[in-house]
Amino acid sequence: MDNNLSLELRHISKTFPGVKALNDVSFSAQPGKVCGIVGVNGAGKSTLMNILGGIHQPDEGGEIIINGKKVVIADPKASTDLGIAFIQQEVQAFDTMNVYENVLAADLNKWRKKKGLGLDFKAMKKEAQIYLDTLDSRIDVDAPVYTLTVGDKQIIQIARALCQGGRILLFDEPTSSLSDHEVAMLFQVIHRLREQGYIIFYISHFLDEIFELCDNVVVLRDGQVVGQAEIGDINKEQLVEMMLGYQVEGRVHNREGALNDVIFKAEHISGEKLPRDFSFTLNKGEILGVWGLLGSGRSELFNTILGIDKMMDGRLYFKQDGELKEVTQKDLYKHVGYLTEGRHYDGLFLNMPICQNITSSNLNQFSAKGTGILNTAKEHVESRKLIEQVGVKTPDENVKVSKLSGGNQQKVIIAKWFLKDPEILFMDEPTKGVDVGAKNDIKELIFEKAEKGTSFVVISSELEEIMSLCDRIIVIYEGRLVGEVAKADFSKESLMKGIVSQEEKNAEKEI
Amino acid sequence: MSEKLKRFGSNNKTLLIMLGVIAVVFIILSLAVPNFATVRNLTNLLQMIAPIAVMACGATYVLVIGGMDISNPAVMAASAVVGVYYMTTMGGNLVVGTFVIILSAAFLGLINGFAIAKLKMVPMVVTLSMMTIGTGLATFLSGVRGLPRLPDSFSIFFNKTAVIIILLLVMLVMDFILTRTKFGRKLYYIGNNARTTKVSGIDSENIIMLTYVISGICAGIAGVINTASIGTARANMGPQSQILDIISAAVIGGVSTSGGSGRVRDAVLGAFLVCGLTNVMNLLNVSDYYTTLIKGAIIIGAMGIASFRQQQAAKKGV
Repeated sequence: MDNNLSLELRHISKTFPGVKALNDVSFSAQPGKVCGIVGVNGAGKSTLMNILGGIHQPDEGGEIIINGKKVVIADPKASTDLGIAFIQQEVQAFDTMNVYENVLAADLNKWRKKKGLGLDFKAMKKEAQIYLDTLDSRIDVDAPVYTLTVGDKQIIQIARALCQGGRILLFDEPTSSLSDHEVAMLFQVIHRLREQGYIIFYISHFLDEIFELCDNVVVLRDGQVVGQAEIGDINKEQLVEMMLGYQVEGRVHNREGALNDVIFKAEHISGEKLPRDFSFTLNKGEILGVWGLLGSGRSELFNTILGIDKMMDGRLYFKQDGELKEVTQKDLYKHVGYLTEGRHYDGLFLNMPICQNITSSNLNQFSAKGTGILNTAKEHVESRKLIEQVGVKTPDENVKVSKLSGGNQQKVIIAKWFLKDPEILFMDEPTKGVDVGAKNDIKELIFEKAEKGTSFVVISSELEEIMSLCDRIIVIYEGRLVGEVAKADFSKESLMKGIVSQEEKNAEKEI
Repeated sequence: MSEKLKRFGSNNKTLLIMLGVIAVVFIILSLAVPNFATVRNLTNLLQMIAPIAVMACGATYVLVIGGMDISNPAVMAASAVVGVYYMTTMGGNLVVGTFVIILSAAFLGLINGFAIAKLKMVPMVVTLSMMTIGTGLATFLSGVRGLPRLPDSFSIFFNKTAVIIILLLVMLVMDFILTRTKFGRKLYYIGNNARTTKVSGIDSENIIMLTYVISGICAGIAGVINTASIGTARANMGPQSQILDIISAAVIGGVSTSGGSGRVRDAVLGAFLVCGLTNVMNLLNVSDYYTTLIKGAIIIGAMGIASFRQQQAAKKGV
């Protein structure tokens, strides 16, 4: 590897209509170092990546200097030619093809046999093996890619980047779909690449990873570099403070008064597969946590109760006029809101403006009885109020939701349900994929609303979060209720108790 | 004021561009073609465009929910034949007959809608079948010798002026419903993301069904117009190739084939462009062979420009 590899950014700015996404960003990277880039959503990380990837052009005056030469990255191809390669969170691979074909996919022409049309598979395998060896990976070059784990696919993606001549590697949230074991493997690979003198950028929301992997870190906030530090000179609290611009006070929610006014009761809920015979009650103003491992039927429980999936068996009761009465799913839905786990999949209308997303939960409020004519002026006014209430960062309510960052998109969904102001709000991973700042905002919003009497049922896989948020936690395992823990007894052990005992029972059965 | 104007401009880009193109073409033609800018030719033109334009309105609704209805011309022919059969062979009343045309088209649309919304069948397959059913029904009812002519009063009542008024009314009413009412908004929601629509507590099945019924009704209205202009109904009055005109009218008008965006008003202007082309080439004495060729090329070109602009916009991040 040549020693003069270098990358420097000088005074990079990028202005979008109405927003200054990057403002005078300058920093440089050395070969053989892993440089972490952190910042909350909307801080400008994606814009920076897009500039390096040739998708956006920086404003006049900014300079990108690679290997001592000033360069213009006009399009994605120019970026690849300069040796810049991206490893994204969604693994891009040709699933039905073999490993070596995937690794060498960028330039198959090179492998055409001198005579004839076929490809020289032998030479290809050999070449692919070289790159896999570089990464110290034991993946079989002949294996079809669909047989591999996500982690291995990630490695193949890296091998492909190297094969394209990539020497400046940008990892964009590479671990979000990997298991712990796979993350460890990926880190080994990155360490190896560092030893070999590549320039490596690592973007992640998981600050623990930054501390484990990176040599130095660049902090972006509102499009500006607000801090650069060697990783040894800084701790997590300082980093978070730099990212947010203020200190986070982890407020613990202390409730006044008892919760003993049952507003909703589910009995013997069974879906097509999960959940199985699940019952629970919910009090007015309570924040009820549902905790379980991945695949335990958490989301299915919500979907079954709310009629998104088919309910095979079970009864639902809802308090109306001071009395707990059995209700149908359709009637129940009039009183609930549902924030789903996949905000792009079934949470938002991505190509519609913020205001139309917000009002989708309760169009009746804006339409004339009988004719159904919409009062769009009122729609805009109410949307603006909610945007302010939940703190969506946006120039105005006409912006398309797809233009917002993840945290702001999540807040739009919350605004949407706050508009309907239902008695019960079901939330499936309300803080998934949002940054530290937005996470805290969302928690505060839930507390505020609960104090005013709205009940919440919240799924979260983050233990810390669910324990700080909820008044009571029920535990689900294989679709069944296996435990209930009151606030006073919250601990990892008490939550795991139900799961462990159930697993033991299963083990006994097998014997 | 200028702020408002700017906002209007950015919200109605397609409309302004299309009006511009139409105006330019219009000026060139009235200078170049001697008989173009006469009231007679222009009203003829409008009468010719009207059925396509009305069906493009229905197609817009279907495209907005992310669906597809290629049975329109066949449904148009079938309903017209049923209506004319009722008015002539069965000796029915002309007023009732008009409603028979529209209602039978609505019924065929209902079958489409039921199969797609309730039975969850694929729109393309359902409406393709409906296309052959419609053509078959029309051929069967009109028989070997065709249907007799209607009394002249039918054509006199639905004259050029009436047809233009009908087109305007259909366009205005449907555009208003789509953009300003709860029902219309729900169509956009469904086309944008059907799953989010469901989670938002909106029951979309009936809305989807109704959309196909509306598409059918539009075909029925087009059937009435066509029947009036030829004085009877034939099985071949809705050639299957017409669906290309209808869909391309909508697409040139900026209606997205992947659902969630577009306006009725712009689709009607699209119909003007697509059908206007044919007329212009007739006036210029271009051979029929070239007409289809040129038309196809222009449609692909226009769609290419639309998709190119979309990519540019995405690139700019606007």
